[in-house]
Amino acid sequence: MSNLLQEIEAQIAGVKTATNRQNVGTVREIGDGVAKIEGLTDVMLNEMIDFGKGVTGLALNLEETEVGAIILGDYTKIEEGDEVRTTGKLLQVPAGKGLLGRVVDSLGQPVDGKGPIKADTAYPVEKIAPGIIRRRSVSQPVQTGIMAVDAMIPIGRGQRELIIGDRSTGKTTICVDTIISQARLNKAAEAAKDKDYRPLYCIYVAIGQKQSNVARVISVLEEHGAMPYTIVVVASASDSATNQYLAPFAGCAMGEWFMDNGMDALIIYDDLSKHAVAYRQVSLVLKRPSGREAYPGDVFYLHSRLLERAARLNEKYGNGSLTALPIIETQLGDVSAYIPTNVISITDGQIYLETDLFYQGIRPAISVGLSVSRVGSAAQIKAMKQVAGRVKLDLAQFRELAAFAQFGSDLDAATQAKIERGKRVVEVFKQPQYNPVAVEVQAAVLWAVQNNFMDDVPVGRLKDFQGKLTDYLTSRKAELMARIAKEKALNDALTADLKAAVTEFKQTYK
Amino acid sequence: MFFVVCRSLVKISKQARREGKELFRCCLVNGLLDENRARQAVRLVLEGKPRGYLAVLSHFQRLVKLDLHRRTARIEGAVPLPQELQARLQAGLTRLYGPGLHVSFGQNAALIGGLRIQVGSDVYDGSVQARLAALEQSF
Repeated sequence: MSNLLQEIEAQIAGVKTATNRQNVGTVREIGDGVAKIEGLTDVMLNEMIDFGKGVTGLALNLEETEVGAIILGDYTKIEEGDEVRTTGKLLQVPAGKGLLGRVVDSLGQPVDGKGPIKADTAYPVEKIAPGIIRRRSVSQPVQTGIMAVDAMIPIGRGQRELIIGDRSTGKTTICVDTIISQARLNKAAEAAKDKDYRPLYCIYVAIGQKQSNVARVISVLEEHGAMPYTIVVVASASDSATNQYLAPFAGCAMGEWFMDNGMDALIIYDDLSKHAVAYRQVSLVLKRPSGREAYPGDVFYLHSRLLERAARLNEKYGNGSLTALPIIETQLGDVSAYIPTNVISITDGQIYLETDLFYQGIRPAISVGLSVSRVGSAAQIKAMKQVAGRVKLDLAQFRELAAFAQFGSDLDAATQAKIERGKRVVEVFKQPQYNPVAVEVQAAVLWAVQNNFMDDVPVGRLKDFQGKLTDYLTSRKAELMARIAKEKALNDALTADLKAAVTEFKQTYK
Repeated sequence: MFFVVCRSLVKISKQARREGKELFRCCLVNGLLDENRARQAVRLVLEGKPRGYLAVLSHFQRLVKLDLHRRTARIEGAVPLPQELQARLQAGLTRLYGPGLHVSFGQNAALIGGLRIQVGSDVYDGSVQARLAALEQSF
């Protein structure tokens, strides 16, 4: 009881301070989540302002005679004539490991009904990206578990890789598979008490998505045990344009906490097309001048400042990284539209998904010709470089020859062999969703393809052969797989053992 | 009150804003709005009725209103303030904000005690009501 009295006395004493000057304004107009305020002469850009009644806003438009502010929260409580005060603060969201496993909104408040969040600190939503000196080049891989990506379009920690394609081509699936793959690797490293392994924490930002889609993603992550390593930030289609505009920045702030504290994080923005639309709405209501396709003039800056915050820091600054996988939805495969070209020019490569390939049964429907990773083999372990080095070239040759072969002319043996090899490679890269493959198994399977072990397997039976080979390698040759995973390169001894293993399997395969 | 314009029916274009602002600037003397000049400006515009004059005057009215708001000080106390205190407050505010300040005094029992001074957008709230609200906030 005496402690309580002392606390109350201290709080009362703390309030007896000199009268401070406050800056106020009056709401002149309110509507569509945007308020026009007269006064507020000292307000600064992006400053939080207090509308009272528990509602805050962000000052976005500083004009000569008024301030335009977007409202965070229930704007139906605000009326014309209400007094508004500046707070002197920037918008911040909670950050820290306490957010892992939680579903939050764009202000970091929990929406999963699991109680309040114990955050380590609060990070500003808008922050300047790390400078050049603080960075380091990308060299550590992000093992997505998707063979086509890890072999031909490898992603590194600290890279920005765009995933672009039409609706329902598997963009979100690639990202969910990546999260599941990372969760498995994290769990395996924890179980083996591997201190050299750096866990990769994931943040999935859903912008303008249907709530049913988000619920499905969350249930898949829970089913595969990935939620303990994942933060889900939701600004669904029913949320205001303000929340959809802020959600990616909030997620990025949470990811930056991991990066600044020497850890690695992966953030997925699903998707930035809807983010641009939400920003367009906010800008138009703020009466900002519109440009091409009615987007505001700074829509490029919107995405560039967001994606530049994903980086790999050098050892002096903690050696952390933030990898970004933004998603863009195209219309009828048009990658030359406004927003897609903007984001393509910002990111370090793109994974292009085609509807035609999807309906041909090639899933993931990755167009190898148009997809690229500007980091490339610097983000691959040596074993993958050894086996996957030629695959992209082989597939490119296959595509050219396959078109030529359609004319039905007689082909020489070498050309026929290339076509047959190409068909098998395409078949090997097909993968069911939510089924990531470990990198050592990928290396082993690709080695088997490149060394002619699958040339005599009919194309129609190749998935069955691959599945059984994978089961054989993971169950009967687990020690060999562990050696490949540990050494990360196929030396002569490992190659010999792998050859023996695959030969032994083939003898028993029917 | 110089004139009444039905602002809600007048669309104010960028050109009208520019001209209204120019008109307002012409009415400033040593950085302060001269009321006589403002009256004269409005009378001349109404007499000449140039193209878009309603929009121009509408924006001019808004700028005058905002300027008056910036240079208006409202001092409220829970009880009527003695003359000497009023004079001291007025002198202090003039020293802080410069000449041309319109000071008005009022009474607001809800403040309980202390003073609330608002000059334009700046508020100095030393009332007991504000301190109680801050105390409530801190809990």
